[in-house]
Formats: sequence, structure tokens, C-alpha cells
Amino acid sequence: MMDFLNLIPVTWLPLLESVFYALVFPGFIAILLLAFFIIWFERKAAARVQMRYGPLWVSKRTGGIAQLLADMIRFSFQEFIVPEGADLIPFVFLPGFLLAFSVLPTLFIPIGPYYSHIFPAGYTLLLSVAFTLVIPVYLVVLGWAADNKFSFIGALREAYLLISYEVPFILAIASAFLLYGTLNLVEVVTIQERSLPGIILNPVAALVFLIAVIRATGRVPYDIVEADSELVFGPYVEYSSLMFGFVMGVPYIELYSYSLLFSVLFLGGWAPITGVGFLGGLIIPGIVTFVKAVIVMCALVFLRGVYPRYKLDKAVRAGWSWVFYLALIALLLSAFMSRVL
Amino acid sequence: MTQEIKTIPFTYEALSQLKMSEGVLELQIGPAHAGSGHMRIVAWVEGDTVVKVDPDIGFVHRGVEKLSEDRIYIKAIPMVERPSLVDTVNANLGYVMALERLLGIEPPPRAQYIRVITAEISRIMSHLYGIAIYGIFMGSSTVFMWAMADREPFIDLLQELTGARITYSHIIPGGVRWDLPKDFAENAEIALKYLENRTKDYEKVWINNPVVVARSMGVGKLSAEGAIRLGVVGPNLRASGVKYDIRKEEPYAAYEEFDFEVPTFKEGDSYSRLLQRVEEIKQSIHIIRQALKRLPDGKIIYEDYYKRMSPLMKKIYDEKGRVKFTLMLTSLSPPKGEAVSRVEGGRGEMFYYLVSDGGKAPYRFRVVTPSFRNLPFFTHVMPGHKLADIPVIYGSIDYFPPEADR
Amino acid sequence: MSSEQLEKLSGLLGGTAKVAYNERSNLIRIEVERGELRNVAVQLRDYGFDHCSSVTVVDYPKEDLMEVVWHLSSYSRSEVSRYTIGLVTSVSRSKPEVASLTDVWESALFLERETHEMFGVNFVGHPDLRPLLLPEELMGTWPLRKDYQLKKKREDVFKKGGASL
Repeated sequence: MMDFLNLIPVTWLPLLESVFYALVFPGFIAILLLAFFIIWFERKAAARVQMRYGPLWVSKRTGGIAQLLADMIRFSFQEFIVPEGADLIPFVFLPGFLLAFSVLPTLFIPIGPYYSHIFPAGYTLLLSVAFTLVIPVYLVVLGWAADNKFSFIGALREAYLLISYEVPFILAIASAFLLYGTLNLVEVVTIQERSLPGIILNPVAALVFLIAVIRATGRVPYDIVEADSELVFGPYVEYSSLMFGFVMGVPYIELYSYSLLFSVLFLGGWAPITGVGFLGGLIIPGIVTFVKAVIVMCALVFLRGVYPRYKLDKAVRAGWSWVFYLALIALLLSAFMSRVL
Repeated sequence: MTQEIKTIPFTYEALSQLKMSEGVLELQIGPAHAGSGHMRIVAWVEGDTVVKVDPDIGFVHRGVEKLSEDRIYIKAIPMVERPSLVDTVNANLGYVMALERLLGIEPPPRAQYIRVITAEISRIMSHLYGIAIYGIFMGSSTVFMWAMADREPFIDLLQELTGARITYSHIIPGGVRWDLPKDFAENAEIALKYLENRTKDYEKVWINNPVVVARSMGVGKLSAEGAIRLGVVGPNLRASGVKYDIRKEEPYAAYEEFDFEVPTFKEGDSYSRLLQRVEEIKQSIHIIRQALKRLPDGKIIYEDYYKRMSPLMKKIYDEKGRVKFTLMLTSLSPPKGEAVSRVEGGRGEMFYYLVSDGGKAPYRFRVVTPSFRNLPFFTHVMPGHKLADIPVIYGSIDYFPPEADR
Repeated sequence: MSSEQLEKLSGLLGGTAKVAYNERSNLIRIEVERGELRNVAVQLRDYGFDHCSSVTVVDYPKEDLMEVVWHLSSYSRSEVSRYTIGLVTSVSRSKPEVASLTDVWESALFLERETHEMFGVNFVGHPDLRPLLLPEELMGTWPLRKDYQLKKKREDVFKKGGASL
């Protein structure tokens, strides 16, 4: 193994490291395996609360963890039906775009101090947030593309919610920026290692961030867009076969990107561990960041067993009133704490 | 302040005018929809506000009234149970009461007590089902699974008694078919204690859940005067402030001997309908306990019918407590006349009207189920609310399409 | 119901109404002529019978008449809340037409609609007589009348071409 590594020219190493970062960990393959895990966890946790078993029979000895694999295999054998009046190009291609854009933010979130050798680390906070904001626009187009009144209403709901909850989200990010004084996420973690994790420095910003994340990924109680009893599945209702698997999985991938950002910004990232080199500076701190992100994801996904769904007008009103006020308070708190730090 | 209830006519001119107006979207929340049940709700929506609702029912119409005219009286018992699928004992009881009034017979006291016990268990199951449907329409599958699972101890109780899980056909003219098994009282006490403990869980997770309160408080308000005008029945009526329960107004089947309250709420919105059902479950538990304590001894079938049983049937009755169908029961010919009976089911008042001409089959059998009488909620209460309130109001009135369609 | 109460009620309703009491069912049967129907209905509503529980028709083809029955009861007046009133009027089978009582009791709205589609009785003044339970194709066949036969044998269904009832 080490002989093989010696054969690689030294100049290729940064490229290979970038490819590893994008494709394996925390990129594509880690995301796929994580999607399997988190969907299984959501169904199992909700089932335990509801006095039933959840996924069980597919791989009985491991508690049904291969359920999503079985579902994916079944989806790939179904026929992909395109409704007659649907707008063909957005309908067929947008799920792929959605998938791509939901994976993209993870490229710009460092999971270890070695990150600055892989991609330039100067503006990572700005870039990752920018890529997360594109997805809801695609969702609105998706709701129009399927020729269905319920998808249309779902798209309108997404547009309303998008406008009202992105403002507090941006304010929460801005207060994080104000607190740390830098857009470089590696430096943000260094500051947290020196002092305290961000969630203690500015808990209000962390709360607003989490609320905006629950809204953006459509987790209960904010699954208003895909409300089951009102709009059978909202913008995604006309999808079948593997596309259905995509659009079901995309919110979880978005959730992963947001959680990674949360764990770096507010939970101290790889805080107790630090090191150098590819192995000690990326993989091992990366596992710590990854585990923190997974814990946040599990907590958010667990809400399915507790709350029913919010109503649209009350949610929009809340986004413009008390969530907005909390975001302003977060900004003030950051301004105060940045003097102290 | 009296509630404004507008009767919007559904004439073709008014409908076409509505279709042409801009900004109004006609949504067919049709039979294949997760939030509609076996019916179609045609809703005209302007923006997010519902302007008009037209319930399009009849998808599961079986023609119970017409079918009963071809069949002997006793065969209508399973037919009458199946529409009101969750609350079968009360449906059964109402029909048999009308038949007994035609025949002029009275069942013995022990049979009346057993009827009360099974009817109250059925009422508990119906209310739990209503709470479950309310939860799933609001998006919480937790309360749906919990309420459906909490029906199981009672289904087991009645399965031990009758052998069937849901449609028992337990009540026949003259009495009941099976006597209570020896350990029924202990098992019933275990089930009731279990439900009382679970009520605390429900209060923590569901009734005091801030999302539930936000979504259902003030939604679907119906004043007492409006409720009387629209003729709604059951917990919906009592949650609007009208204290009317047929078990107290026109007592039947030994209800006079029990001591229970009729809870009412003043607000008349969806949240008070939810609370009303929980309170009624508590009252039912109280009634069952009293009935089990004071259960009289004796026969469970009318004396005259017992005398006409064959020796083999009498032997089976004495050993197993089981009533087999005699020729008398299967060839009942009540004298000419008519009879009316009203029963307070879980969802409301069930009305039965039987006309007999002396033959073996009913001349006219009319049944009006509580869900059918709760239909005005769709046309008169839903307009003016948001689109997301349609499932909330629908779930809170506990409308069951097969029951309304018969 | 005591006989004094019964006499008071029948005195209120005027001469042409025939009142009979069925003690077992707590049912007071009031038979009126078609012309007097609305007046009697308003009298009953003012007396305290404030909602309608059922509207139905009993079909007597041999006497060539149909009896339209409204069953009423009372939520608000406690002395009469245990009684049901059966308000009966007869219409001819060839031209079954009767005044609608939806302006007296709004609770009769859906009940009269169902009775119309099942029996063909025209309720004059009802705002909306579209079919409720039956599909559009069966409108006009008046299924619950005595002369409508349900197909009992399989051969009948398949002989007549199957799909329609």
C-alpha cells in the first residue's frame, strides 16, 4: 500500500486530495451512506415513539438498516411516468440539479485544519451559504413544472416560506460573521478552540439558525410544502421511480449540509482534536465534525414523532415577527460579544 | 353574538359565476387524496381562503335501506352495523330497539346491562378513532398510532366476549347473544386502568401541544344557536354549548340507573371538540365501572323466546351462555305499525324508523346516521377559513364517509 | 306524554291535523293535508321543535300515494326533548310535489335532497336538488320506490348488458 502511494507524483497529491474530499468523505459516498442511515433512523425513532417496530424485515439482524437500499432497488424497477401537460425539461432534469446543488455546499465546509491545502479557504462561509440558498428557487420551478394544482399550491407555499425565513437565516449567519470577524471557517474553529463553542457565545443565533434549517429542509413541524393531508406530497407528487427516490432524499442531503455548517460554526467543529497532514489533519478531526453533524441531524429528524404541522399563514407571520426579532437580538448579542472576545 | 351562517345556494348560475371569477381556484380534494377519506371535497379557493365547499358524497353508498326490504328482519343486523364501522354496537342497538318496540317486547335486566357495557366500550373505541383521524389530518402520525393501538385492549375484550373484532352482531331482539365470560370484569378493569394512564400521556404530548392549540383553537367555530339551526349531533353539538344527550333525555337500555355527567364546552371550535371527546371517554369509563359492579343475574334473552328453544339449545345456553337462533327469531313478523328509536352513538344521534306491514321483511327501513347529519359543517362552517383548515375541521367533526353514505 | 299536553299540542295545530301518540317509541304522529303543511310546521317550530332528524317517504303503490314524513325533535325545550314528532303528509304517486321545509328548519337541507333523489318527490322551494348519494346516471330512476327492482340474479345483470345498474 505504501509502495503504491510512493508511485504517485507529488504534484498530483493536492488534486487527489480534493477528489477524495469531494467524492468520498465528506462528499458523495459519505452522503449516500449517511442518507441510508438518517432515513432509517428517522423511521426507527418515530416508530419507537409510536409503539411499533419500524423497518425490521429487510435485514432482521441489524434492525432493518438496509431498508432504504431495498426501496432504491424497487424504485429503479418502476416506470418513470411523465404527466402529459408537464413542462418536460424542468420536470425531468430539475431533480438532478437539486441533488447536485444540495451536495455542493459540503465542498466548502472544512472538516479539519488541513482543509486550507485542498480548496482555498478564504471565503468558505459565504460560498457555502450562497449555494444553500439556490435550492428553494428550484423547488418553486418544480412545483410549476408538474401540471397539477396541488403542486402549484405547494410551490406557492414554498415561495412564501422562502421569503419569510431566509431573512432571519441570513441575519443569523451575519451575526456569526460579526462574532468571529472572519469568513474563513478554519479560523472560526480556531477561535472557538481558544475560547468557547459558538453555541455558548451566541445561543440565540444558534436557535435562529436551527429554526431556519428545519424550515429549509421541510422537517416536521415545517413540512407545510409537502403537507400530506392537504396537498398530497406538494411539488413532488407526480414523481415516480428513481426520481421519487431523489426528491425524497434531497431534503436529507440538504439537512446534512446545514448540519455540517452548524457544527463548524456553533459546535466548535473539530475542537478538541487537531493535527497535521492528510490523515491527522483531515480524516481524524473530520470524523469528529461528522459525528457532531450526525447528532444534530438525528435531533432534528426526531421531531417527526412529536409535533403536527404548522399552518402556512401562522408560519409566515412567525417568520416575520418573533423569529425576525430573535435574529436581531442575535445580531446585537454578537456585536456585544465580539468586543469581549 | 350570534354566528352568521350564510346559506349559499348551489344553483348552476351561482356556480358558473364562481368559476368565471378570477383568482378562484377549484380544487377537487378527491377520493384518492390523503386528506379526504371516501368522499370528494370540492373547494373553491381564492388565494389561501376557502370561498365555498361542496361535499360530494356517495362513493360508498351501499343501499342499506333498499336491501333491507328484501331480507328478513334479523339479517338487517349485520347490514346496519357495517356502515358505522367504528361504533358498531350502538348501530346494532338502535335497530334492535326499533324492532323490539314494534314487537312489543323488553329484554331482561341482565341483557340491558350487558348492552350498556358493550355500547360504552364501543363509544370509547369510536372516540379514540376520532382522535386518531384528527391527529393524522394535522400531520402527526404519533397520536394516530397511539390511539389506534389503544383501541386494541378493548377490541380484545369484546373478542373474548363475542369472537369478532369489530362487527359483533351481539344484540338481537329479546336480549344479547353471549353472556359475559368469568374473567370479563378483571380484564375490563385492566383495560380501563390502562386507558386512564394513557390519558396522561395524551395530555402531555397532544392536548397541551402548542402546535395543536395554535392550529385548532378558534378554527371551525359554531355557536350554540348555529348548531341547533344546522341540526348537528353528538360531541360537535355538546362542544358548542348545547347540553343534549339522548342517554339523558330519552333514556334507553338501563342508562337511567347510572350516574354520569354530560360535559359541554362553550367555544365550539375544533379544540373544544377534541377536549369534548376526551371528557366523554372519561365518563364512559365511569359508566362501565358502575355497570360491572352492579350487574344483575338472570337470563340474557327474553323469557318467551327462551321457552321456545329446543332442549339442545337450552343445554348450550345453560353451559356456555350462548343463544342460538331459534326459528322464532329467524321468522319474526311484527304486527302492522311503525316504530322510531334514537340512540346516542359515539359520533352522535342514530335515528331508526321501521314500518312493518306484517310480513317477514321490513316495509320501510329508514336510518339516519350521525355523520350524515354533520354534513352542514362542510357547507356552512368551512368557508372563510384557510385551505389548511379544511383537514382540521374535517378531522374534528369526526365525519366518517361510509357511515354517511350507508 | 300526558293527555293534557297532547291535547294542548293538537289544539295549537288547528283542526285539520290528526294527532296520534305511539307510547313505545315516544312518537307523536301528526297527519296534515298538503296545503296546511307549512303552517303546522311553523307552529311546531315555534312550540320548540327546532330541528329535523330525518325526512323520508313511505311508498304505498297499492293506494297510489306516497307518505312524506319529517321527523322532528327538540334541543332547546326540555319538556318535549324526549319526544319525536312524525309530520306526515300524503302526495300522489303520479305527481309527487310538496313544499320544502328548509326555510323552517335548515337542518332539512341534505335530508330532503337525499329523499328527492331516492323517491322523486319534488320539494318546491329547496335551493339545491342535485343528486347527493347517487351518481348522475341514476338520477330519474328513483331507486327506493317499490316498483324499482334490484337485480337479484346474475343472469339479469349480464343479460341487460352489464355495466349499468
